[in-house]
Amino acid sequence: MPKTARRAAVIGGNRIPFARANGAYAQASNRDMLIATLDGLVARFGLAGLRIGEVAGGAVLKHSRDRDLTRESVLGSRLSPTTPAYDVQQACGTGLETAILVANKIALGQIESGIAAGVDTASDAPVAVNDDFRRVLMQLNRARSLGDRLRAVAGIRPGQIVPEIPQNAEPRTGLSMGEHMALTALQWKISREAQDELAVASHHNLAAAYDRGFFDDLVTPYLGLTRDANLRPDSSVEKLAKLKPVFGKGIGDGTGATMTAGNSTPLTDGASAVLLGSDGWAAEHKLPVLAHVVDAETAAVDFVHGSDTHGPDGLLTAPVFAVPRLLERNGLTLQDLDYYEIHEAFASTVLATLAAWEDPAFAKERLGLDAPLGPIDRSKLNVNGSSLATGHPFAATGGRIVASLAKQLHEKGPGSRGLISICAAEGQGVVAILEGA
Amino acid sequence: MRLGTLYAKAALTSVGPRAHTLPDTQLHRSATVDRAHLAGYARVCGFTVGDTLPATYPHLLAFPLQVELMAGRSFPLPLPGLVHVANRITVHRPIDASEPLDVGVRAERFVPHPKGAQVDLVGDISAGGERVWDGRSTYLARGATAPADPTIPTAPASRPFPVRESADSRARVDGSATATWRVDAGTGRRYAGVSGDVNPIHLHPLTAKAFGFPRAIAHGMWTAAHALAALEGRLPDALTYEVEFGRPLLLPSIVELRTHAVDDGWDLDVTSRGKAHLAGTIRRSVG
Repeated sequence: MPKTARRAAVIGGNRIPFARANGAYAQASNRDMLIATLDGLVARFGLAGLRIGEVAGGAVLKHSRDRDLTRESVLGSRLSPTTPAYDVQQACGTGLETAILVANKIALGQIESGIAAGVDTASDAPVAVNDDFRRVLMQLNRARSLGDRLRAVAGIRPGQIVPEIPQNAEPRTGLSMGEHMALTALQWKISREAQDELAVASHHNLAAAYDRGFFDDLVTPYLGLTRDANLRPDSSVEKLAKLKPVFGKGIGDGTGATMTAGNSTPLTDGASAVLLGSDGWAAEHKLPVLAHVVDAETAAVDFVHGSDTHGPDGLLTAPVFAVPRLLERNGLTLQDLDYYEIHEAFASTVLATLAAWEDPAFAKERLGLDAPLGPIDRSKLNVNGSSLATGHPFAATGGRIVASLAKQLHEKGPGSRGLISICAAEGQGVVAILEGA
Repeated sequence: MRLGTLYAKAALTSVGPRAHTLPDTQLHRSATVDRAHLAGYARVCGFTVGDTLPATYPHLLAFPLQVELMAGRSFPLPLPGLVHVANRITVHRPIDASEPLDVGVRAERFVPHPKGAQVDLVGDISAGGERVWDGRSTYLARGATAPADPTIPTAPASRPFPVRESADSRARVDGSATATWRVDAGTGRRYAGVSGDVNPIHLHPLTAKAFGFPRAIAHGMWTAAHALAALEGRLPDALTYEVEFGRPLLLPSIVELRTHAVDDGWDLDVTSRGKAHLAGTIRRSVG
């Protein structure tokens, strides 16, 4: 083991434009999109035939046949087939977690280069055999005698033909992510207007970033798409105000119904990849260093039961707890950061997170802090748009943010700092700090 | 005209008087790639769904013109019963699915063959006036006769590329299998669905029996495409892919693919029990 750790460099990234589900990528599988994304990265950084230290990737919605999806994708790509790979799955935190894993191995000197990747398709989602029918099939498989087989087959019922479709609901609560978020939005009294304003800012920021060519070296067209299909450059508060609420309709005597299709992310298809390496490896291959990975933290909350002192926490509030720990460990305040990338699962997720960091009582009682983290300069938030505008292919979002923030920090200059905060299903949150190079 | 209709016309005109020489017809069409069709082709053959056309895909753009040219009485050989014995494809540069393409097809080299007569159907594809793809499909008509042309040596010496070993007796590539393919009974129907090549010998055991095959057989171009797909990520941008078809690949079958890297490309074959269904080479082309 090396005596001291070194900081992993973010060299660059590549993603395909994100598509709304059942749109341009309806025919593409996770493997197709991941290979296209890796090959785009290979083309951009001259990695053809090169052995990379490792590729960590993953998908949230995954077919059972896609065991070792990432390694299979490496084998179909132009990377050297001697590049090892493994899959990670941590809901919407997958993409950032893969970057952290790769960065940590680089920091320890175990690898010199690595690719963090994520992909998801809601259009080519796995549909499984009905669980009752599956049990009959397994029993049939175990049957030794004709009698056993007949008994197993006798268990088949017409209703078992209905397949199982993956659902956007928490297994333990039965609530969808949107319903969970509506509870948190109500708790923090996040208004419909504030959510719509954040959504509009996301679309405008993303459109402006495309217009100034910010994504020219971050995005490779795929299947005829050159920009994120969900982007609405002409989005306005007036237009969004016309949409009917879709979540939280039954809570808070109607006041909880603030979340619409306009201020929530749609189901999305897409993939992203980030190239990381040691400074030495980057220099050896004449590649730029955009930023370094400073540190990362993952938190989880009890969103199911709660304790004797407080009720259950909001499903998507784990970053609220992760960020103070991360800041303290690095001797930073929230205001020391130049950019904030807070994943817009829903507009209310971002606003509830900021509200929690500004609340003195919450700081004292729940975060164990004398003072709240305080407000942030909103002009530094999601400056190139975020998931409300790009869409959110679950495991691909982390890579999108890491590459974009690294480039933004590089433009800002050495020593600039940015925070990434990504909430995830199952009550988890992954956060990280990058520093511009 | 739909391909099915053309096949019906070809069947109706397969008996009776025919021309004795090749028509000098050159057929042309402009084509744009339907992305859903490309994705379907990729799935059936095992390619990644993407923007660059697999080298074998443009064959499908030229194929309807091939059939149109061969379906009438002006073509000297009856289409039913023609056997695809060899194919050569050159991709001059990667072709993007969004490019409008001009497709041309003509017939060449109508020559005697020890077992009958053979003819080449030659396709060329351009994008914006630039030649991007060439294809040459060699068909054999068993028992047919062709005029001996002193300028063209008699087949098989005139075959478009040299044959190292007879494809149906010995496999080309040494070494153990790269992959075992379990080719299921629906393969012919699925490839017929995306290619439009609805020749009955590929569709069902009964329709195949009518043409003397014990079971349905895989399309040679499916086998060629599936072998190429196995090398995705390991291929040069500009390449020439030559194959000879040997024994029919009866469906269903378990067959072996062998690939062997050479200096500027690959040698490959698809075999079962030591007999080759396909033997081919992939070579970097200079563009």
